[in-house]
Amino acid sequence: MKSRLRHFALAAASVVALVACGKKEPPAPPPAPPAPAPAPAPAPAPVGVTLSAVTLGKAVGADKKVTAASETFAKGDTIHASIDTSGAGSATLVARWSYSKDGKTVPVKEDSATITPTGPATSEFHISKPDGWPTGDYQVEILIDGKSAATKAFKVQ
Amino acid sequence: MSDMPDFSNVKSGSSSTATKIYEVKSGDSLSKIAKHEYGDANKWPQIFEANKDILKDPNKIFPGQKLKIPPLA
Repeated sequence: MKSRLRHFALAAASVVALVACGKKEPPAPPPAPPAPAPAPAPAPAPVGVTLSAVTLGKAVGADKKVTAASETFAKGDTIHASIDTSGAGSATLVARWSYSKDGKTVPVKEDSATITPTGPATSEFHISKPDGWPTGDYQVEILIDGKSAATKAFKVQ
Repeated sequence: MSDMPDFSNVKSGSSSTATKIYEVKSGDSLSKIAKHEYGDANKWPQIFEANKDILKDPNKIFPGQKLKIPPLA
């Protein structure tokens, strides 16, 4: 009788063990969703002073803008280059005037001005020659902080 | 190059609606700077007023000083 009881107990334990072995493991937690892609960085705001326009003329007003744009001048004219800029900060403007003849170019004058605008501004450079300009082809190159920003050609007739 | 014109007597200048910065050179005075920047030596008090934070005496400016040149009112 004792032996039958022991067999029964062993059989019952085996059944329990088999059931336990068949028990399914709880499902693994789902993987964390991928982190959302970072929002694209906003476009950087323009920094510093940038050139908007260059206009040539024979005279400028109190607002430093040319009163009558022209790219042809007479021998006795004062030649103005009006430069519109946007942005704020500090910038050094350079006006590099030159003369060209027969494929050769010679410097006429170079002038610079450091400005500290707080917003849109207009600056002007001018040149004159007491004994009159030689006729021919000229140009003015405008640089901002050492970088060429614009070039304008003009004639003296 | 000898047939190229002589541009050594070309005069130039500049002005702006923005405040300019002028670096003082040896021999400068406020009236001389006003003449150069505004075309009128009598406008020197405007430069002095704009630079009172660094100038105590309008007769004492030094090479290398950077002065604010305000646009003419």
